Amino acid sequence: MADTRKPKADFSDVESGSSSTAPEAPAGGRTYTVVKGDSLSKIAKRFYGDAQQWRRIYEANRDQIQNADLIHPGQTLRVPEA
Amino acid sequence: MLAHGRRWFVLALGLAAAASAGCKKDAPPPAQEEASAPAPAPAAEFSVSSIEVGRGIGSDKRIATPVTTFKPKDTIYVSVATEGAAASKTIAARWTFEDGQVVKEGRETIAPTGPAATEFHIAKPSGWPAGKYKVEISVDGAPAGSKDFEVK
Repeated sequence: MADTRKPKADFSDVESGSSSTAPEAPAGGRTYTVVKGDSLSKIAKRFYGDAQQWRRIYEANRDQIQNADLIHPGQTLRVPEA
Repeated sequence: MLAHGRRWFVLALGLAAAASAGCKKDAPPPAQEEASAPAPAPAAEFSVSSIEVGRGIGSDKRIATPVTTFKPKDTIYVSVATEGAAASKTIAARWTFEDGQVVKEGRETIAPTGPAATEFHIAKPSGWPAGKYKVEISVDGAPAGSKDFEVK
């Protein structure tokens, strides 16, 4: 029996940008774009050298992370200063 | 004679008074009434006034011709017009496909001093899959509106 399910669309090559007529606000921390295979622990390890610090990134991105175990490639996360 | 003497007396009195005034220390100038500056108008509260999607933007970051249907090779823009001033506001755009997949997310942290427009755009060199899409706009994490569009 043939599989009639629609294949999942691939958005890995999507390019993006943004700009504003308003002045940019002073930066407070860094940003990081999630890639395939990332987890908050991995990102915390990369930026802070300690995977246990994942909650800091989670708290800074509560607006876009509903489930700490579920982040998506392409998401741009705020990474608070160490 | 008496009248003449009185005239001298008055003159002397006047001179004495003038001399006395001249010896006084400089008195502080009278306090001037403070100029009452008009109270500054309260800054307009920051808010999103409109969200439009289209194929291009002008130098004002606004979309001249909003559309809701795109071709697979189009660059898709969303322009978020805002009112009011703020020290820092993060506007985020979250693009999703009909199956719920997150296509892309972007954010701009701005310090607007008045009306402003912020644009986000996405492009896919290999072409957009046909279907329905949505772009959701949030300000500091709070939903501020969304637009649906379709790629045919």
